[in-house]
Amino acid sequence: MKAVGARLPRYDGIGHVTGRTTYVDDVRVSGMLWAKALRSPLHSATITSFDTSKAEAMPGVHAVITHADVPLLEYGHLSALGIPADEPLLAKDEVRYKGQPIAVVAAEDEETAMAAVEAIDIELEERTPLFDIRKAFDADAPKVHQWGNWYTHFEGEMDRRQIRKGSVDDAFDKADTIVQGVYRPAAIEHVPLETQVALVVPEASGRLTIYSCTQALYFSMGVVAAHLQVPLNKLKVVGGTVGGGFGGKVDTASETMCALLAQRSGRPVKWRWTREEEFLCSSTRAPWHMEIADAVTKDGWILGRKMLTLHDSGAYGRFSPYGLTKHSFHHTGAYTIPNLEFDGYVVFTNRVPTTAMRGFGVTSVSFATETHMSRIADVLGLDPYEVRLKNANRIGDTSPNRIVYTDPSTVSVVKALAGGMDVELQPEYAAMSRDPREGDLLPEHLVGQMANPEDH
Amino acid sequence: MNLTVNGTTHDVESGPLATLLDVLREELGVTSPKAGCEQGGCGACTVLVDGEPQRSCLTPVGALDGASVTTVEGLGAPESLSPLQQAFTHHYAAQCGFCTSGMLIAAEAYLKRGGTDDREAIQEALAGHVCRCTGYVKIIDAVAAVARGDSFDLTVTAPSPGMTNLGGVS
Amino acid sequence: MTQATEVLFPTSADEAVAHFGDGSDVTVVGGGTIVMPEITYGRLAPTKALVLSRAGLDTLDVAGTTVTLGAGLPVERLAALAQDVKALAQCALNVADYEIRLQATVGGNLCAGEGRDAPRGDLQGPLLALDAQARSVGADGESTEPLEGFLGRRAGRLLLDVTFEKPAASAFAAIDYAHTHEYTVLAVSGVRTATGETRLAATGLAGFGTRLRSAEAAASDPERAGAAAVADVSLGDDALASAWYRERTLPVLVHRVLGELEEAA
Repeated sequence: MKAVGARLPRYDGIGHVTGRTTYVDDVRVSGMLWAKALRSPLHSATITSFDTSKAEAMPGVHAVITHADVPLLEYGHLSALGIPADEPLLAKDEVRYKGQPIAVVAAEDEETAMAAVEAIDIELEERTPLFDIRKAFDADAPKVHQWGNWYTHFEGEMDRRQIRKGSVDDAFDKADTIVQGVYRPAAIEHVPLETQVALVVPEASGRLTIYSCTQALYFSMGVVAAHLQVPLNKLKVVGGTVGGGFGGKVDTASETMCALLAQRSGRPVKWRWTREEEFLCSSTRAPWHMEIADAVTKDGWILGRKMLTLHDSGAYGRFSPYGLTKHSFHHTGAYTIPNLEFDGYVVFTNRVPTTAMRGFGVTSVSFATETHMSRIADVLGLDPYEVRLKNANRIGDTSPNRIVYTDPSTVSVVKALAGGMDVELQPEYAAMSRDPREGDLLPEHLVGQMANPEDH
Repeated sequence: MNLTVNGTTHDVESGPLATLLDVLREELGVTSPKAGCEQGGCGACTVLVDGEPQRSCLTPVGALDGASVTTVEGLGAPESLSPLQQAFTHHYAAQCGFCTSGMLIAAEAYLKRGGTDDREAIQEALAGHVCRCTGYVKIIDAVAAVARGDSFDLTVTAPSPGMTNLGGVS
Repeated sequence: MTQATEVLFPTSADEAVAHFGDGSDVTVVGGGTIVMPEITYGRLAPTKALVLSRAGLDTLDVAGTTVTLGAGLPVERLAALAQDVKALAQCALNVADYEIRLQATVGGNLCAGEGRDAPRGDLQGPLLALDAQARSVGADGESTEPLEGFLGRRAGRLLLDVTFEKPAASAFAAIDYAHTHEYTVLAVSGVRTATGETRLAATGLAGFGTRLRSAEAAASDPERAGAAAVADVSLGDDALASAWYRERTLPVLVHRVLGELEEAA
């Protein structure tokens, strides 16, 4: 483990500072065509007529691809995790978010590509969009998705991610106070400096070389192969250089669209998103709505937590069920709460589909939990560090999904924070460690949740 | 029209309203300036024009007849890195590297006009440059280091004074 | 579109004027910071583009107390007026960043149309407060008029320069939106002339920069002046701030500027 703690130079450091690192957009191939997309101008609409013939006939245009040209139109990115497909690569009869791609064109230059997009005739019948996840459950809410307004395919065809542990009703009965909070982090854009970009080069053998900015090269390869219905050995993906991703360059679609354009035109096709497309049409971190009610004692123990989460998945599922699942496992944050009632929903709205972004699923609940811990301290008139240290995860405690903690770092981190803020902890708290609970640190309500309660 | 780029003079074929960015990248194959936004908002396209830093995505090439453009390729090469290029390498000032070209050009111009290691002044000079990866601190560290006249050992990355070591388990 | 555009690079003011003609169907490009992205994104396809980078309009002339700024003067160069016209220099240096300021021109900034999402034309504020005179050409020949009037009828005019008298004192106060780039939400400029007259102007409004005449009339009472300023302007919601917010912060900026002018007296 010589590398740990060592100060190693980046292998690509010299390339970055000399302008030699090759990003996808820096790759030059002769005969390259430029791609542009026709995108939905409306949040929700049915497509009543659609004619690409003028665009196809335009001089300098080499290919126009629509839903009809995609061998497998819907492929679930996480079908391996049991999440069914729901999203067409290109819109078919309707559009569900503003910016949704309907057709892509490949032309000699950017200007011609833009003109070709303008030349596509399309008529849309606008529908009332749904944007507020809280309203998704109303009987008269607009219907967004073929599955209804929320995901219904968790294990056992459940329509929510549910966690039940111990008895929350008992905890609420025994509590001195209930502390409530509602937390609503907004969507966040990734804003990588490099916008979404793909270049696909058709080889004479029929194999496609795909230059991709993906963060997940083999994953993307699988997605492209699935949509194109070709074996993996028909694709060669060149990747590994990403101008910032942060989770936003895992969703795979531009590569597939360029691949179809390259196959149709027989020419290399590049598609580089504009910054406006990146802001308006690329996936974001999801907005969340979280309601927490904690049953607490006056000396700062958290006996139980009731929590409701609504996760805004946007128009399609993508990775949201996975994100919500992780969220549910971490919904007590860095703290041990023995009695739990958690319900989480993946809700569909007419927004750009949301996706992964740094710690996806978990950062939202970390924010909510930490804020809530401070709120508890505030309501009870207790020190916020002490409330955290008491309830901190320790060896032998269990997580919401019953994983036994063997190496939790809550105590050392909270103590380091106190140190960094020049806060002097009371001796009892300064002496705390992550060692298994005992004595005063093992009140009755925490015995049952421990891995081996009989040992303590 | 003629355009000298990193010492080589070219006869530009693109129309006069083509952006300098497009001319550099598409016509001349000089790809260090990046198309981060094409609206002057991110600084990834900045190059030196007659020594002054300028957004190449906002510059109609026709306005530059006879001008001399310098890009990162003209600052130094792997076997002969400029002090700033060395500093950026040693101080870990580049992560994804996409903003790095623009940052280096802006920093180069700043130092050439007498910029010091004053962090606020460096921030002011680099104000037009967005970085989404590094949080800027190490970029400023690198520029300040060059302003101070530091020398750099490229076999290791500079230590991070701001890091808190949580130490062993407790 | 860029191939079909006739692009002209006049090398003198007279040539620029001649090419501009009556201004019909001409897109004027100062530094390019506003026009070029519009072309890149396909929102603007000029048939004739008049690029002023070599027209010799990048002048800053000081003759005694009279200052003349060429329409092609880069915004950064206004830093030179920091001593004599503090508000103008401060306003200029608050625009964007060094690189943009080297390229953006006084003329481009003054004549910029309303931004799609956020206000433009920061320099209108101090120059209105300075009661600058704008010299321009167009269909009816050359004319010089107060900047205020010019802004209202600038379509079809080519701005050549603006002239003003150095003030006895000036002040500038702005609220910037804390962001990656600090866009200016609202700004107030104030000037006390050599003859003791107080002038105030604001930018970041719905529409152009505006003189705050009611506030000027109440200038001796900064509180009253602040409240009166709201009556002088039309406020709007945009990507940076709401009209509601601007209504509450305008009096604060007016107060601040008047306070600074008072101190400088």
